[in-house]
Order: sequence, then C-alpha cells, then structure tokens
Amino acid sequence: MSLSVDKKYIAFWGYPDPKIMSEVKSEYRDSEWLDLDIDYGVPDLNILPDVSCKIIKNLVNNAFYYKDNIIKIIAAIGKEKCDSGWYVAHLLKQFGFDVIETKYEQLVERKPIVYSISDLPLIDKVNLIMNSIAEPEKVECSYVKPKFGFWGVPPNDIDILKLFPKETHIYGWIRCCEAGVPADLDLEMFVDEDVPTVFYSQAFCSKGALAKYLANKYSGLYIDIDDYSTNSVRAKVEAFLRLR
Amino acid sequence: MAVFVDAGTTYSKIITINENLSCLVPYFHHEVNEKKYFILPSKIFKSLNLPVTGACGHMGGVCENEIVAMSKGAMNIVDENTTILDLGSRDAKWIKFKNKKFADMDWNTSCASSTGATVEMLLKFYDIKSDDLKFIDEKYIINCGIFGLEKIMDDIASGTKASVAVSKFIHGIAYNAWNFAKRPTKLYLSGGFCNNNCFVESLTKYCEVVLLGQFILCEGLINE
Repeated sequence: MSLSVDKKYIAFWGYPDPKIMSEVKSEYRDSEWLDLDIDYGVPDLNILPDVSCKIIKNLVNNAFYYKDNIIKIIAAIGKEKCDSGWYVAHLLKQFGFDVIETKYEQLVERKPIVYSISDLPLIDKVNLIMNSIAEPEKVECSYVKPKFGFWGVPPNDIDILKLFPKETHIYGWIRCCEAGVPADLDLEMFVDEDVPTVFYSQAFCSKGALAKYLANKYSGLYIDIDDYSTNSVRAKVEAFLRLR
Repeated sequence: MAVFVDAGTTYSKIITINENLSCLVPYFHHEVNEKKYFILPSKIFKSLNLPVTGACGHMGGVCENEIVAMSKGAMNIVDENTTILDLGSRDAKWIKFKNKKFADMDWNTSCASSTGATVEMLLKFYDIKSDDLKFIDEKYIINCGIFGLEKIMDDIASGTKASVAVSKFIHGIAYNAWNFAKRPTKLYLSGGFCNNNCFVESLTKYCEVVLLGQFILCEGLINE
C-alpha cells in the first residue's frame, strides 16, 4: 500500500464494526482507508514503553505520522482486539485525535472460509483477508490440501510468511477475520490436529499464551517475533517445515 | 572426494572423505574407514579457503540449516524416542524424535551468555584449567549468564576458590540446558560441552546422558 501525504484517510485498526466503517466511509466518500496496524516504517516517537507490542506501537506512530491526513480513527477496542487497543484509543483521544471506539464481538454471522484454505501463497492469503476488512476483495482460488498450518495474527514482519509453501492453511485470529467473527475464541483455538502448525504470536502480545498452549497441545512450533525476525527464528521455521 | 564442515563460532569441525589435505594434518582428530575427522579454530579454517562440499554454521549463504543437519546426523544413532541437545560456543539447540521421526525442537542462537564462549572466557580470566573443574552439587540459579558472572564474582570475593565458583556456574548451565530441552529423562549431548566433565557430571544429576561428540552436525551434512 502506498501512502500519500496529499490524501485524506479514515484510519482504523483491528476489525472494527463493519456497520460503523460503512457509515463513516459514506460520510467521507473521497477518503481512503489507512490500516494503522501495519508497519509503514515511520519513526518511533517513543510514546509507548519499549517493551510494548510492535503492532500497538504501529498504531500510535502511524497515527502521529499521518495526523494531518487522518480525518477519523475507527478503533477496535473490544475482545476482537485487546486491552492495549482500548488504552491506546483513549490515549489518542487525549492527544486530540477524533476516535470512534467500536466493539465487534458478535459470534453469529459467520462467513465461509475460503482464502484461509486456498492455494494462494500464504502472504497473499493473509493480505487479502486483512485488506478485506475495509474493502472486500474477490480473488479466484481453489482449496488446497494442507501440508502446514500458520496460526496467529498478521506478523509485523509479514515477510516471514514467505517461508511457508502455498499448501499452508491459516488458523487463529486471521481465520476469525475471514469468517467475520474476530472475537470468536472457539474458532481462534481451532486447528486441524494432524497439520503441523507454526503458532505465531507478536512479542508482548497476550495471545502468546494461546499460541504456546496450542503449540504444546498439538506438537507445533511456537514462535514470537518483536519487530523483525532474526536469522534464528527464520532458521527454526525453516527447520520445522523441512523436518515435519 | 569430499570435505564437510560445521563452522562453529569458535571451532570448525571437518570431515573429509577420501581426501588428503596436508593443511589439516595438525588438526587431525581421528579416522573411521575412509573418513578423517579434524577440529581447528574457525579463524584458521577460514584462512585456509578450502573447497567445501557441504557446510553448516557460519559459512554464509551456502549453509545447511543446523537443526536439519543435527537431525540427519543423529537420526540413525540415537533411540527411537529421544532428545538430542547440541550445546556449543554460542548457541543451544535441541531436537526430539518420536518413533524415529522429528517431533519437536528449539534453538537459542541469540545469546552466548550461558554457553561455551563464556566458560572459555572465565577459564582464561581466572587462569583455571578445564580439568580443575569438578562437579559440585551446589549450583547458581542463572536465568541469565551475565547475572551468573556477578554471582561468581561475589562468591570469589567472599573466599570461594575460582574453580569452585566456575563449577557452580557450569552446574547452573547444565540445569538450564536440561530445562531448555524440556527436562528429558535421557539426553544425547552433542557439541563442545561433551569434553567438559564438570558439565557432563552436572547434567547427569538430572538425566541419563549419552555423549555424541562434536561431529554430529557434520555427519548430518554427509547424510544429505
């Protein structure tokens, strides 16, 4: 995604209530979406403590960097995000941002899982699902039998996903997003038992507890990465994929 | 003819097959049939610019993944259900086999504060020989090797012999390594610590230990 300082953005993070996103977008039709979760390489303003989840740092640093271009921030603050999202929404309001807080915790309206189990490259699957939160996309693809699984959230270092073959199914929060139920803990905990799975957590994220538990339960590989993966983490993933 | 090398941080382990390289003669370790085994400081190995058939460790882009090499090297010589720990100069890694198949692993490569390099520095700093280190039932709880150094210094300042303090430190490393490998009842040990009796005896306090020596990763390159 190329960002421009000339554009006006409706910023958001996580998986906000689609109805609210739609209402805001219809009010500002010429604006574009800006997903604040993503690492665009903007300077770290050191507003948050060093030991903070990199995604949460992204929210704050991106918001300040694009402050003059952001019309509103639609902030997910419920169980579909995390407490940090809730606190940061509050902080950004203190700094003068126009923040709409949303909770999207419904578990009933589930959409079919298509991309998570498709033959697209893993990185494309993840980008497609996450981009679809703001603007649903349709891409031709077919079901693929899984050789591996990737459980978790979109990593800050998205390139780690390039290590996986296209026969990788997605589980965890990303699958919940595709299903339109980002707060569905039961779906988030689901994996196919026989599929060797890498359980990923962003460092300093409380989802690490789930990732580690599931990795032990299903003999998977637990990894966490802070900002960018080290050679050792990449080597561990590579070894896991080659030896399992 | 072939040359395989596990280029570690401190030492390089080399296996040659049907190859006579005069430059390696001073570093000869042993031989089995057509295979000759050598250990030499990595800085010397790098200066030799040998043609290499297969490599792992610090050899740039041509390297095999070390966990993969370890798995291949150990698979045919360990029990069907077992854990192998490789503890070297800089990193610690383990793999577990279930029914002869890879089942689990971990690899701590980032920090050398509880591995061989630290022990070697301590021996030099306190002018201790490796043979002076004896197993001591007491250990330092060393969540971090750097904090472990502080305990050594405190202990020595209060009158403990340096060799005793370093032995407690090594016992702490052994305990950590056993925990890191998820507390197995039997552990195959690979890497430079196989030569450290104090470490091996300390580890034996927690599990049965079988020594594999320093060439397992290198053997795994041949088994490619």
